[in-house]
Amino acid sequence: MTLKERLGKEWLFCDGGTGTILQELGLKGGELPELWNLTRPGDIRALNRGYFEAGSNIVNANMFGANRFKFDNVTEIVTAAVKLCQEARHEAGRDDDAYVAIDIGPTGKLLAPMGDLPFNEAVEVFSEEIRAGARAGADVVVIETMSDAYEAKAAVIAAHEVCDLPVIVTCVYDDSGKLLTGGGIEGTVAMLEGLKVDALGVNCGFGPDKMLPIVKRIADCCSLPIVVNPNAGLPRTEGSRTVFDVMPDEFCEVMKEIAKLGVHVMGGCCGTTPEYISKLVETIKPLPFTEPVRKHRTYVTSSSACVEIGPKPVIIGERINPTGKKRFKQALRDNDVDYILTEGLNQEEAGADILDVNVGLPEIDEPAMMESIVLSLQSVTTLPLQIDTTDIEALERGLRIYNGKPMINSVNGKQEVIEAVMPLVAKYGGVLVGLPIDEAGIPETSDGRIAVAKKIYEAADRYGIPREDIVIDGLAMTISSDPGSAVTTLDTVRRIRDEFHGYSILGVSNISFGLPARELVNSHFLTMAMQNGLSCAIINPCNGPMMVSYRSFLALMNLDPQCSEFIAAYADYVPGAATASTGAKKDVAAGGTLTLAEAIERGVTGRAAEAMREEIDAGKEPLEVINNDLIPALDKVGKGFEAGTIFLPQLLMSADAAKAAFDVVKQKMAGKPRTVKGKVILATVKGDIHDIGKNIVKVMLENYGYDVVDLGKDVPPEVIVEAAIRDDIKVVGLSALMTTTVVSMEETIKLLREKKPDTKVVVGGAVMTQEYADQIGADAYSKDAMQTVRYCDTVFGV
Amino acid sequence: MPLGAEIPVREVKRYWGYYGPIEHPEADSYIAEAVSALEKESDPHHIYKAFPIEVEGDTVRIESRTLESAALARNLTGCTKAVLFAATIGPACDRLVKRANLKSYTLMSCYQAAGAAAIEAYCDKLNDKICEEARAEGLYPRPRFSPGYGDLAIENQKTWFELLNITKNTGITLTDSYLMVPTKSVTAIIGLSPVNTPCIRQGCENCNMSSTCEYSRERN
Repeated sequence: MTLKERLGKEWLFCDGGTGTILQELGLKGGELPELWNLTRPGDIRALNRGYFEAGSNIVNANMFGANRFKFDNVTEIVTAAVKLCQEARHEAGRDDDAYVAIDIGPTGKLLAPMGDLPFNEAVEVFSEEIRAGARAGADVVVIETMSDAYEAKAAVIAAHEVCDLPVIVTCVYDDSGKLLTGGGIEGTVAMLEGLKVDALGVNCGFGPDKMLPIVKRIADCCSLPIVVNPNAGLPRTEGSRTVFDVMPDEFCEVMKEIAKLGVHVMGGCCGTTPEYISKLVETIKPLPFTEPVRKHRTYVTSSSACVEIGPKPVIIGERINPTGKKRFKQALRDNDVDYILTEGLNQEEAGADILDVNVGLPEIDEPAMMESIVLSLQSVTTLPLQIDTTDIEALERGLRIYNGKPMINSVNGKQEVIEAVMPLVAKYGGVLVGLPIDEAGIPETSDGRIAVAKKIYEAADRYGIPREDIVIDGLAMTISSDPGSAVTTLDTVRRIRDEFHGYSILGVSNISFGLPARELVNSHFLTMAMQNGLSCAIINPCNGPMMVSYRSFLALMNLDPQCSEFIAAYADYVPGAATASTGAKKDVAAGGTLTLAEAIERGVTGRAAEAMREEIDAGKEPLEVINNDLIPALDKVGKGFEAGTIFLPQLLMSADAAKAAFDVVKQKMAGKPRTVKGKVILATVKGDIHDIGKNIVKVMLENYGYDVVDLGKDVPPEVIVEAAIRDDIKVVGLSALMTTTVVSMEETIKLLREKKPDTKVVVGGAVMTQEYADQIGADAYSKDAMQTVRYCDTVFGV
Repeated sequence: MPLGAEIPVREVKRYWGYYGPIEHPEADSYIAEAVSALEKESDPHHIYKAFPIEVEGDTVRIESRTLESAALARNLTGCTKAVLFAATIGPACDRLVKRANLKSYTLMSCYQAAGAAAIEAYCDKLNDKICEEARAEGLYPRPRFSPGYGDLAIENQKTWFELLNITKNTGITLTDSYLMVPTKSVTAIIGLSPVNTPCIRQGCENCNMSSTCEYSRERN
């Protein structure tokens, strides 16, 4: 029988520790154990054989860290590891019922965007190891000791892309049930289930006693076979040796308790030996075995958050979408990522649970934009995302790069769309929105919509997508053209719940298209839909009345314990009648009646924006206001900073205020050409990840009327040069914080001199000095943001 | 897990460049926001281990590896052992700084300063614990010293990562250019000497950047 056929049908056993045994044999701290495959093959074979003889069904080849960051000869090391393990199995007489595992440990690098290893490169690193192992004839891929679910995802994708072997993933949680990168148990399980691994669980970290509560939580949400490989207790240092305190008998006593929780594969990790495993096999084998049970729970997850669909309605923020938004379209065309991210953060603060992400615009590269926005959003918010696109390539790029298990908007009943979308959802995992529309169009009755929904559920069955991962759209359409449409929609929502035990979703505000006072209709419709069983509401969470409906519903339906969310949101609520009579101007307190210039000098952000709005509303030309009020005020603060009478926080507060005023101008002038002093590139050089100084320079330059092309941090010289040539850039600003990365600064300058000699380079950063700048051939050194502004003014002659 | 160490506001101000009396209603509330978010959202981890060491000239030998640095050798003269440690306040600070960067540059730089103060506070607490354990063994600890400081090249980070298995134990990772992520992380060595020698100069006085550094304690 193959391992795939046996997993979840009978007790199976993994092996135990490797490092502790090799240390006894003389492996030194910091020495790479995988090298022994070539230098001491007999010891490795004996190690593997010990576990086969002890009764392990799955034994890891000695290749935990055999990746290209540590070895130049990955294939050689891996092939040797698998061969030795196969020989050991043969010697132990276990060829028929035991399996050799390709053992994949973490790379030791953090994935982008927080770290410097791009996701697809991580996939490639793992592919290299797994390909070599599969070619050498291994039987299973064991991805273990993962403390970052995102890295585990890269490894699973690699495994599925290079071989057909079963895949097992175990992670290391701390005692609160969190991964070192912040992920939780339910979220990690949901993501791995979505990626279609064959078994999952937990290893390392601590002994079986502390693992027990973690296993319990896994068993509560996991529908797959569960693997548990604890250490022999907590590691402890004795002199310079690492020792473990839990002896085999004690280890097995607790493992017996863990077995009762409904686990399926057991073994050990650090500190355990063949003695532990043989005792474990003896203890566990006679116990009754329970097959995995489907849990039917639906989770949408991110790196560290996990939103469950079903127990109560959830809010999906709709604002990251260019439809009907001039300013948003402009941001997409200008690649103004910050604007898009801010739309996300605003919705999070307003109470969204999930953010819809739609970046479709005909004139941009949507797949690239989707990938970039998903990555950027996930570095600033922990809310899960809903990838919303009709472009299949954009969908795949988004799903692949996504950290967690996303929602996907959407599939429908058309055969062609099902065939394009469902294979991707089956591969990457996700909660899929299904629109009950097919080749015949939009059904006008709930009967028609339910029939198409049925078709979508059946298609999901065929692709192996669990039904609980499907959310059917009730299709809200305006009552202004079809007065019966709300009734049909509500009926559909109710029937999805009652007839399929399914989940539903609505783009709520469509219901009022063409009517005045839309929020009145929308907010009441939302309440009615939730009363009919709506699971997910796509709305603008920044709209007050919508959130009033939502929070009131939760409080009324006993879905908000002690009404605490409601109270937190509305403790300072001003009743409608009072609002009408006072005009409710909340901002007056902060900033009062300061002029624009005063607000900027004092750094009062809200008032600066409001004052700018007043100036424009009074008919003044924005550019005139900028030149006569904004710039002089900013200059005054800048001069104070240069003279040392004003400190950095004050300079930044003024910069923030000026930026807020500028944003008002941008909003008013979206789509119109604007005058700028010049275009400047800013970048933190390759190898350096510090971008705070660079960001401060950016806001100052922008406030002084420059268009800044911000290439970010860790930027290779070629990318900077390419951008300089593309936009014929006159000034490039480079930042480096470490002496080690000044080298890349020098390389960048050299390459610029060669390919784009007329571009000036200004450098800055903590270790920079005038002397250093001269040495690496920069045109200028700026000690702070103000000096950079002054330098650009001289270059552009303004 | 919250930070478990108090973030000193005085240090936040120093890292922020908030030297004089700033009359602004929001300045203190920025600090309060950053400090409270970091105390709550940090997820600190650390690992430390003692090793026998030998000092010869400008070379420090530890577990068949060497560290070349005159300043470190001077710091460790007379020590027979040293504790290597690594500590981090976790990934949340990096995310909070990025978030704050979208809202306000002032807030962003304040988070950055509070994060620096937080990891220092956490390291100070850890340092105290290590010193206490050393004294209980009759050893005298020296001021901590980090790779990238003085003439101890940052490339030496890899010695710490190999000897302490830092990534697995704390979640700290190393980039190709030897920077740590999460960024609010510290690696250091603390020498342990069997004899009590007068305290060796520490901090800004011993740093080759002190004349130009914005954050130098002497200048402020």
